[in-house]
Amino acid sequence: MRLGHDLPSIRDGRSAVIDARMSAFPPMLLELANVGKDYAKVETRGGRLRLVFDLLRGHGARHVFRALDDISFSMQRGQSLGIIGENGAGKSTLLKIVAGVIQPTRGTLAVNGRVGALLELGSGFHPEYTGLANIDLAAALLGLAPSELGAKRDEIIAFADLGEHIHDPIKQYSSGMVVRLGFAVATALSPDILITDEVLAVGDESFQKRCIAWMERYLAQGGTLLLCSHSMYHVQKLCAHALWVKDGRAERYGAAADVTQAYLAYHEEKEARARQPLGVDRAAASGVYAIDSLVVEPADAITQGSTLTVRGEVFSPDDRTPVVLVGIVRADGTPVYGVATDMENETPQRIGRQRFAFAITFSDVALLPGRYQLRAHALDPEGVRLFDHVEHAITVTGATRELGFVRLPHRWQSST
Amino acid sequence: MRDSAHLHDNERKPAGGATSVRPWRQFHARNRALFVNFFRRELTTRYLGSVTGFAWALLNPLALLAVYHFVFTHIFRATGFAGQSFLAFVAMALWPWLAAQEALQRGAVSLASYAGMIRKVAFPHEIVVLASVAATFALQFIGYAAILAVLRIAGEPVHVIGLVVAIPVWIVLLVGITGLTLLLAALQVFVRDIEHVLMPLLMMLMYLTPILYPLTLVPEGMRAWVAANPFNWVVGRLRDGLLDGRVALERGDAVAVVVALMLFLGGRWVFRRLSPHFEDFV
Repeated sequence: MRLGHDLPSIRDGRSAVIDARMSAFPPMLLELANVGKDYAKVETRGGRLRLVFDLLRGHGARHVFRALDDISFSMQRGQSLGIIGENGAGKSTLLKIVAGVIQPTRGTLAVNGRVGALLELGSGFHPEYTGLANIDLAAALLGLAPSELGAKRDEIIAFADLGEHIHDPIKQYSSGMVVRLGFAVATALSPDILITDEVLAVGDESFQKRCIAWMERYLAQGGTLLLCSHSMYHVQKLCAHALWVKDGRAERYGAAADVTQAYLAYHEEKEARARQPLGVDRAAASGVYAIDSLVVEPADAITQGSTLTVRGEVFSPDDRTPVVLVGIVRADGTPVYGVATDMENETPQRIGRQRFAFAITFSDVALLPGRYQLRAHALDPEGVRLFDHVEHAITVTGATRELGFVRLPHRWQSST
Repeated sequence: MRDSAHLHDNERKPAGGATSVRPWRQFHARNRALFVNFFRRELTTRYLGSVTGFAWALLNPLALLAVYHFVFTHIFRATGFAGQSFLAFVAMALWPWLAAQEALQRGAVSLASYAGMIRKVAFPHEIVVLASVAATFALQFIGYAAILAVLRIAGEPVHVIGLVVAIPVWIVLLVGITGLTLLLAALQVFVRDIEHVLMPLLMMLMYLTPILYPLTLVPEGMRAWVAANPFNWVVGRLRDGLLDGRVALERGDAVAVVVALMLFLGGRWVFRRLSPHFEDFV
C-alpha cells in the first residue's frame, strides 16, 4: 500500500506535464517509499559471531524479525502526522528511521530539513552530567558550538523550568524532569520536523499543557510534527493525518479522526471478543471453571425500574459445584453492585456432567440511565479463586436529572 | 539557522540510491564539536569520582616504574640495559605501552556507556571511540613529556633531538592503535568476549615485548619473533632517538607507517560496516 498518494501533495491533481515542471519546486520535507526494517535474530553466542561475519561480507542477517515493512508516506512543511498502534507494532522503529538513528533495510527515505527528535525518556542525555552540560551536548549533536548556543540556552532553561536542579546530574532527576529538559532541548533548536515519542505522558499536567500549547503554536507557525501517541485525544488535537501501524505494516492512513476512530473500534471489538462466553467446547478445553453461556433479559436496553434476569451455564472441570458471582459495573469499570452464590447460601444447579446452571433476577433495577456492563464470574467451589469473566453490555434508558448511577430509596421531609 | 539540507546525517539513501550534496563544512563542524564534547567528557568522567583525579593518571605509571625498578635492579639484579640506567631504559617504553594498553581496553568498551545515545540519536559512532583513544593518549603523552624532563634534570642522558623521532613514533602508534581499537570496539558490541580476553592477552604481550628488557637479551633463535612485534619498533625507535640521539630514518620506519595505516583503515572499515547495527545490540 503506497500511502504517499493519499496525501495532498504538490503533485496531486495536476497533469504529468506540470508534474515534470514542478520538480524544480522544493521537494517534500520528508518522504518514505516502501520503507522496511529487519532486525537480526540471534539466539546463540555462535550466532552473534556468524552475524558479524555476514554483516562484514555485506550480506544481511540470516534470521530476521521484520519490524517494519512497506511503509510509504510523505510530509510537506506544515503538516502533522500522528502515528498510532499497539505496543510492538513498529511505531518506535519508524520514528527512529525518520530521526536517522537507524537505517531502513529496504526502501528509501529522504529528509530535507533539520530533525528534532525526542525519542523515549531523556534522548541522548548522559546521566552523570548536569542538566546544563547535557544542553551543551545536545547542541553539539546538532552542530552548534557552545558559543552559538548563547541565548538559546536561557530559553531552554526557562522552558524546562527545573530551577536549581539544572545544576544537578541527570541521574538525580525524576522521569518527568528528564522529559521536561528533553522537550525543552528538542524544541528550542527550531527543528523543521519535530518527532516525539510517547513522552508527554510522563510530564505533570501543567507541563503537558505547556507542551501542547507549544506544539499548537509551532504547527500554526508552519512547523511539522510527527507524533507517536497512545492518546487519541492528543492525536486528534494536534494532527491532521494519522497512520495506524499494525504488525509493522500500514493498516490505515488518512484523516486523523477517521484513523483514530477505526483504531478505537478495532480495540473495542478485540476486547468484546475476549469477553464473550467461551461456549461449551472451549470452556471444557480450558480446563478451569468457566462461564460457557450467558443470557441477559432484556438483551440490551432496559428501562429504569424494570426487571433484569441473568441466566447462564458454568463448566466445572472436577464436577464440583462452582460459585458464581454476578455484578454490574459502569462503562468505566467502577463497580456498582456484585453478589455471589455463596454469599447467600445459594448453589448453581447441576444440569449434567461438569455442567451447572444459575439464574438471578434483579427486580426494580435502580440504576440511573446510562451504559453499564453486566459481569459474570466463575469461581472455584471455595469461592476463592476467580477463573473466568464474561461481560454483557446493557443500557438503562429513562429520563431523569438525578445524579450518580443508582437511585437510593428516599423521601423528602416537608418542612413544618 | 535553518539549512535546507541539514546537519543530521539524514540524507540517507540505501546503497545504490542517488546521493545528494551534503554541507560538508557544517557536517565537520558538528563532528568536531561532538569530538570536543566527548573528549572532555572522557577526561572528566574518568576521574570524576576519584580523589586524586588527573594526578593518578600521571602517577600510576610512575608507581609502576618504581616497582619494576625495585624488582629488577634490587631483586633480580639485572644488568646490561645497553649501558643505560634501568629507569631511563624502561621509562622510554612504559608510557607508550600503557597508552596503547589503556586505549585498547577503554576504547573497546567505550560504546557501552553511550548506549542510550546510540539508541536514540543519530551521530557518527566512531567519534566515541576516537575521543576515548585521544583522551588516553593525551594523558599518557603528558606523563611521558614530564618523565623525560625529570630524567634529564636528574642527569640521565636524554637527547632532546630525539623528539624529532619520538613525536612521529607516538603519532604512528596513535594511528595504529586507533584502528585496532575501532575494530575491537565494533566487535565488542556483538561479541562480549573481547573485553574479557583483552586484559590477559595484553598482559602476556607486555612481557613478550622488549619493554623491561633489551632485545639483545632475547635468545638468538627467538629474537626474530620478538622483533616482529610491531610494538618492538615503537620501543626501539624511542630508545634510539631519546637515549642514543640517533634520528636517521630506517627501513623499518616505512613498514611501521604502512602497518599503522593498514590497521587504521581496516579497523575503520569494519567499524563502519557494523555500526549501522549497533543500535540493536549495544
